[in-house]
Amino acid sequence: MLGFLRRTEGGQLEDLRALELFADLSVGELKIVQGLLHDRQYLAGEVVFDEGEQGYALYIVRTGRVLICRQGRPESAIAQVGPGNFFGELALLDSAPRTAQARALEPCQLAVFFGSDFLALLETEAKLSNKILLRFARHLGARLRSTVAGQSAEQHL
Amino acid sequence: MSAAAAPQPALSTGPGPIAWAGIFAATCLLLVALNHILWLVIPALLALILTYALDPPVRRLMYAGVGREGAAALATSAFLVVLMVLTLILIAWAGARAEDWQAGVERYLRGGAVLLERTLAALEERWPGLARAGLAAGVTTWINEYANTFVERQVQPLAVSILAWLPAALLGPFFAFFFLRDGRRFHGFLVRAVPNAYFEKTLDLLHEMHSTGRSYFTGLMQLTVLDTLALGLGLWLLGLPGAWLLGLIAAVLAWVPYVGSIAGCFLVVLVAATDFPDTPTMAYWSIILFILVRLLDDFVFLPATVGKHLNLHPLVSVLMLFVGGAVAGVPGLALVLPLLGVATVVGTALSEIITDRRLRARHVYAQRLRADQAAADLG
Repeated sequence: MLGFLRRTEGGQLEDLRALELFADLSVGELKIVQGLLHDRQYLAGEVVFDEGEQGYALYIVRTGRVLICRQGRPESAIAQVGPGNFFGELALLDSAPRTAQARALEPCQLAVFFGSDFLALLETEAKLSNKILLRFARHLGARLRSTVAGQSAEQHL
Repeated sequence: MSAAAAPQPALSTGPGPIAWAGIFAATCLLLVALNHILWLVIPALLALILTYALDPPVRRLMYAGVGREGAAALATSAFLVVLMVLTLILIAWAGARAEDWQAGVERYLRGGAVLLERTLAALEERWPGLARAGLAAGVTTWINEYANTFVERQVQPLAVSILAWLPAALLGPFFAFFFLRDGRRFHGFLVRAVPNAYFEKTLDLLHEMHSTGRSYFTGLMQLTVLDTLALGLGLWLLGLPGAWLLGLIAAVLAWVPYVGSIAGCFLVVLVAATDFPDTPTMAYWSIILFILVRLLDDFVFLPATVGKHLNLHPLVSVLMLFVGGAVAGVPGLALVLPLLGVATVVGTALSEIITDRRLRARHVYAQRLRADQAAADLG
């Protein structure tokens, strides 16, 4: 009872900095972000979210691996996301439906960043949110490049 | 699993009639319950407003490297110091003018009575039937009787109730400190209890509840500023002394729908009748101004501020105001709209969660996985 009153702040800030999205943040900024993240545990095979479902949050993998696939077709893998990486990032930009299903491939610990918390951060902490946005933009750029490279390889074949 | 058999999440269709009935019933029950614990509701509301106001400085301090606990303590302490200084200044200022104020209140009440007597006399002159019914004499007798017992019947109980409420109001900053310090932790504590399948929807529900409450109070502050400006400008153009202060007092009184507006109008009419005893048209113009600002409020300001944030249909708002007044009196009038806003958000989200078969199926599947894991070594 009242376990929420116990202090949880400790050596978790460095773990947080190890995540791709928060690599550029200072200690003060990490403390703010840490207060906004929610930790969730998923078992192997458990659905994190469905394709077509309204997206509200971005997921960061702390441990384990997550499969991104077409709805109900785990064999049609789009990507696998491992520790330090994130998925469901478009929910930070809008609440559009998810474009794929996410399933835990093995027992996972995920940190969840709620989209509205990020939007509030954009309004109040411009410097902090710009650092996250820059990482985010680089991630999207890399994904776009790899998609284009994949398409041109297919055309070449 | 084939692509054709792949289940799709249900589309949201909004709450149905049963959900709406539940929303209205929950609002009424909450009003009844809260009306019985007003001593706790008022400081909690003050704390909520204070939390919204102090949240930005707390974030600033945290950004500068101060821990959440220290930031909450610093911001609340700074507020308390400012409040104490302002209270001391107010007590010193009011103490020096207490006698003037007492005389002033009596003078303004007399001025109001004179205006009423003159108006009734003019009516009797125009419609002799009213004179035969003894309207002016009856009303004057009633006013004199009321004025003779006014201090014992109204002022003393009011002073006693203010003294009784003062300790409860002081709980406001105390609660605000804990809201600021532990609010986020409590939010996390609540969310941790939610199964994975319902987690995102619950996050959104809590966010909507929080932003509805915040928006309501923000809207109320915006409305107060707009009302003050409109009334102050109108009274200033009419030439009433202390126009902007009167506008501000009337705008604050308007926090209680209808009753507060009437009280504000009454106050301004008293001032107009007393300061311009030979110009009764000034009091009538003040009433016309109040009606105009009321219309402006209902059709322009309110939908653009509080109504916009709560996203309530105007007819529903008006009907619920009557229900709130009937169920819980004046506190019901003041509380019914924010409560209805929050109940609508919760009812909408819950009906979506309960009727979403896909989410339920995912939850059942996750429970089965957990049960299998727990029994893995049991053979």
